[in-house]
Amino acid sequence: MHMADALVSPAVAGTLYVCSAAAAAYSVKQVRMDADTKKVPVMGVMGAFVFAAQMINFTIPGTGSSGHLCGGLLLSALLGPYAGFLTMIGVLMIQCLLFADGGLLALGCNIWNMAFYGCFVGTLLIWRPMMRKGMSRAKITAASVTGCVLTLQLGAFSVVLETLASGVTELPFGAFAAVLQPIHLAIGLVEGLITAAVLVFVYEARPELLDSPDRETREGRFSFRTTMVVLGAAAVVIAGLLSLTASSLPDGLEWSMERVAGSAELDGAGSVYQAAGSIQEATSLLPDYGWKGSESAAGTAFSGIVGCAAVVALCVGACWLFRFFRKKKQYE
Amino acid sequence: MSHIHIDVENVSFSYDKGREILSGISFHAAEHDSVGIIGANGAGKSTLLKLLVGLRLDFNGTVRVEDIPVEKGTLPQVRSRIGYVFQDSESQLFMNTVREDIAFAPRNYGLPEGEVEKRVEQALEMTGIAHLKDRAIYKLSGGEKKLASIASILSMNPDILLMDEPSIALDPKNRRNLIHILNSFHHLKLIASHDLDMILDTCRRTILLSGGRIIRDGRTEDILTDKKLLEDNGLELPLTLQGQNRID
Amino acid sequence: MDTLAARDQWVNHVHPLVKFIVTLCYIAAVVSFSKYDIVGLAGMAVYPVAVFILSENSFLDSVRRLRFVLPLVCLVGICNPLFDKSTVMLGGMAVSAGILSMAALIMKGVFALMASYLLIATTPAETLCCAFRMLHIPRILVTQFLLTYRYITVLLEEAERITQAYALRAPGQKGVHFKVWGSLAGQLLLRSMDRAEEVYESMQLRGYRGDFGYMRERLSFRWQDGAYLIFWLGVILLFRVVPVVSVVGSIV
Repeated sequence: MHMADALVSPAVAGTLYVCSAAAAAYSVKQVRMDADTKKVPVMGVMGAFVFAAQMINFTIPGTGSSGHLCGGLLLSALLGPYAGFLTMIGVLMIQCLLFADGGLLALGCNIWNMAFYGCFVGTLLIWRPMMRKGMSRAKITAASVTGCVLTLQLGAFSVVLETLASGVTELPFGAFAAVLQPIHLAIGLVEGLITAAVLVFVYEARPELLDSPDRETREGRFSFRTTMVVLGAAAVVIAGLLSLTASSLPDGLEWSMERVAGSAELDGAGSVYQAAGSIQEATSLLPDYGWKGSESAAGTAFSGIVGCAAVVALCVGACWLFRFFRKKKQYE
Repeated sequence: MSHIHIDVENVSFSYDKGREILSGISFHAAEHDSVGIIGANGAGKSTLLKLLVGLRLDFNGTVRVEDIPVEKGTLPQVRSRIGYVFQDSESQLFMNTVREDIAFAPRNYGLPEGEVEKRVEQALEMTGIAHLKDRAIYKLSGGEKKLASIASILSMNPDILLMDEPSIALDPKNRRNLIHILNSFHHLKLIASHDLDMILDTCRRTILLSGGRIIRDGRTEDILTDKKLLEDNGLELPLTLQGQNRID
Repeated sequence: MDTLAARDQWVNHVHPLVKFIVTLCYIAAVVSFSKYDIVGLAGMAVYPVAVFILSENSFLDSVRRLRFVLPLVCLVGICNPLFDKSTVMLGGMAVSAGILSMAALIMKGVFALMASYLLIATTPAETLCCAFRMLHIPRILVTQFLLTYRYITVLLEEAERITQAYALRAPGQKGVHFKVWGSLAGQLLLRSMDRAEEVYESMQLRGYRGDFGYMRERLSFRWQDGAYLIFWLGVILLFRVVPVVSVVGSIV
């Protein structure tokens, strides 16, 4: 479910960076209030555990395929939602930077889609309320499965909204959602069951490791207020994204131009240069640049290809020269 | 009397009110002592070392390090004087490069950057791993990791060195190298190990533990040559001495 | 990656914060191109091409890393020709707008990925963390990032040992049977927790009191760093705003 950079526009990426950063700042404050110096090493090692556990293939009975474990909910069930969220951010940062799994610009989106829902919604709305009156195997299983399904549904829905709001796809909203949501329902069920199996094992072997309601009281009884804050924030973000889609203005200028390009039979390669072209006209550096007339369409395409080759050749040449002279200087 | 010494008086300890791991342990060790702590699995060797650095404080009796009683309030003082080398180097080395890991302790003790750099160089030189300075930890071999973890302790300039099974999983060359490094540390060292040959090479004094009690405390040559005593406590003669016995 | 990043290359010595900002701006510029603008996008190739040459990195290695992210991008992209049936004129030919937007999407995906690959191939993780600290990313997060990075290899080895031990005693099974899901991953989890405990002890014994003193924000800016930043931001802006490729093409 990791989103690549190509699927987001800067506006959407920026919005979600801000939202994720806000949630992270709040979590940092909460974890600091806890003043438990042990939390940092535990978070670090458990982040690595999530990586390792994701390498294990769990066979799904009755099918030939295999599933993996849901990191967000598992970490929060062990470390609490705030430390769990920060740990997931670390995991996602490493996946993005070192394993190229998810884009750097889309990191804010990925944190929101995977870590935020898993840790905050999954834990504060499902795990903690269900564990309030004591834990049991059945409750842990039920909480894990509902938690995973819910958080993955929210995550997949956010992917749909973010992609559409970024305006990179022609897929209609309904079709896109109809593809992603059922897939993630199945994944959610499997991940939920695996996560449940692990948590039940921990519950039976070392129950003190699990996040429990008494730990919640130690962190200060925020949960209702926090939950409302969380829900409010989520609503604002989703509403914001929806309004972006509705007015089709992620990057206003370009979207409206695409419409022009799509409907009127303008030269495709040239029409999108209107923004650039207006700047050009204003500065009138290159008045002869032929993007207006359709008769020069062939010329434009040809010049595009030639131009590309020329620019790249120039760039390669300059870099080789640069390298050559640096080396020469080093040897002298 | 020099200021470097450890006093353990009538110490008993059990995990979670279960079976006693240590009972009635008392000993004294002073500067220039080299003490081997031997015993079968579960004799309480590692636990004893952990009590000395205050990793467990829920014990009965008193432990004093350089006249400071080991208790919650004195831990920073005590720990700045004792270096403890873990059995598992992976846990000991938590930073990403050798240099950063060795610099961790001096930086935490607030030394200026120039001094930190000097400590790092010294520790690297003492352990002979200067060429690994900028290497990522995960790329080191088992032996190199052990040397790096010793260097990361030596950079604290400890008065007292505690080691838990230092020679485990080392090949003969690395083991020899380790013995050489241990012998160049002259203050006070306590080494817990099954490797009796190494104890023979590095420690003048040996404490034999069994079932959480001190069975014998004396000169290494006396204890490690006592075949009956060792076998009664689940150990065997060091290999070097076994050969001699056969010739006898 | 560490080996690449630790090499003594000129680009590797550029200030990490500068490289981070340039990378982020580059990606933002790339994805902000309109969805049909493949000619403009083509010009953006200058940055990865230049840095590949300057840092002497292997282009093929980076291609191998594309396999993780490209599937979703392609999936979304392939739908474009199906839903966007309108045509545009390109070089006198009618071209499906959907195909153009698919090509643009894939180009964006590739460029963005190359840029972040080049960042990490020229910057070691610890150095990058200095940049994070300079951006005021909380210390707790940066510390946790470094610790996770350190223990990934250790725990991966442990996971491999556990699964190998399992596979040796369960021949002919492809994955892990559902009856042992909990205990197998659970064992790994408990071991990881014990490991965390020991790491914490090791930290405490070396003077750790809840704050990492090690993260010295020691990297100072040199004039070359400033020049690098200004140069690339200028180039990115130029290629984003002015259709350089077409202009050069029409001149040639």
